[in-house]
Amino acid sequence: MYIVIVGAGKVGYFLAKRLADSKHTVSIIDKDRVVCEEIAKQIEALVINGDGCDPHILEEAGVARADVVAAVTGEDEDNLIICQLAKEKFHLGRTVGRVNNPDNEHTFFELGVDVPIDSTKIIAKIIEEEVSFSDFVNLMSFKRGKLSIVRVDLPKDSPIINKQVHEIHLPQDSVLVSIVRGEEVIVPKGNTVLMPGDDIIALTLVGNETQLLDLLVGKL
Amino acid sequence: MYVIIVGCGRVGSELARLLSGEGHNVVVIDRNQNSFDRLGGTFNGLTLVGNGFDLKLLKQAGIEKADAFCAVTNGDNTNLISAQVAKKIFKTPKVIARVYDPQRAHIYAALGLDIISGTVLFASMLRDKIIETRFSSYLIEARDLGVLEIEVKNSLINKTIQDINVAQELLVVAIRRLDKTIIPEPETVLKPQDVLMAVVKVDSLKKIKERFNL
Repeated sequence: MYIVIVGAGKVGYFLAKRLADSKHTVSIIDKDRVVCEEIAKQIEALVINGDGCDPHILEEAGVARADVVAAVTGEDEDNLIICQLAKEKFHLGRTVGRVNNPDNEHTFFELGVDVPIDSTKIIAKIIEEEVSFSDFVNLMSFKRGKLSIVRVDLPKDSPIINKQVHEIHLPQDSVLVSIVRGEEVIVPKGNTVLMPGDDIIALTLVGNETQLLDLLVGKL
Repeated sequence: MYVIIVGCGRVGSELARLLSGEGHNVVVIDRNQNSFDRLGGTFNGLTLVGNGFDLKLLKQAGIEKADAFCAVTNGDNTNLISAQVAKKIFKTPKVIARVYDPQRAHIYAALGLDIISGTVLFASMLRDKIIETRFSSYLIEARDLGVLEIEVKNSLINKTIQDINVAQELLVVAIRRLDKTIIPEPETVLKPQDVLMAVVKVDSLKKIKERFNL
């Protein structure tokens, strides 16, 4: 694939390096001349020193024949404009834009960025999970964060210990995917009995996460 | 009218004072509190510190009841995004963005945004002042049409407007006579020292100028 990356900060740099290492064709644009010179030495990529919001620069980077543009600068308005120019002027099918301020995520969707990546929110969420004492871990989110797979360690005093799966009233749009018991992975059936220390993997709508947690570990 | 202005630089503050002076409701948004100093003591509108495309701030600014939205910060991208947020998310009836970069101005104008590019306007204004006499190409947004001033003297005296107009090429739209401006009829007779304001096709400019010895 041919990928144009705009913004060679930490995200842009590592993205370019990874993609180039896995034999994709990469071109990278950054405003800072020194940064560009450094990258040109280290990564097998076309490096262009200029403003990625300038249509001439995008053209020079070969956006017209690219498969994807990833706008990963530190400025949301720049990332938005880059994605829009790629779509409207160069008719690109797929644009990925980094959202720096989580408040702007909605705007990215509304203004036509195909894949907004809310880097701040993602990192904040991971850190939040690591520092909280909850037994509830979000493993993965889908559908723009509306649906997630979560893992819950069943504590000894959980209200559902020794109950069978069919006796539990799961919140709407939640489903138990599997139970990890020691080394064993169990696909839950109606008559599966839950034990203390079970690791429950469940799929749930993000809005129902709290209800699911209440059910599995009891009210905090 | 209820107007939101994003950017309180020279243009933004001047616009805010103008509108507020005419009795319109004005809200000005700028990232920097100090910028509001430009508004002076008489400005009686609202000022808000923050980002011009922050949805929460825009709601606070009353964008849901705004009649017009104008983005005139010094950042083209900020203006373009703010304008699109106003137009697409809040459906503000009248949305205008200032864009310096002619290329981006052109692309986004083609996408249906109302763009004013000071750069394009000012450059063509200067160009006309340097190259042309009596001709302004910047008054009309279409690039193939301009405004030509013609002074009435010698052979033009006592001619009528319909003698002057050239179908598809030149149309007299106003006459400055002494201190008044007249919208002419085809039969209006020209007097010495009248100044005609005519729209002219840029392609026909040379021919028209030769015809009137300009």
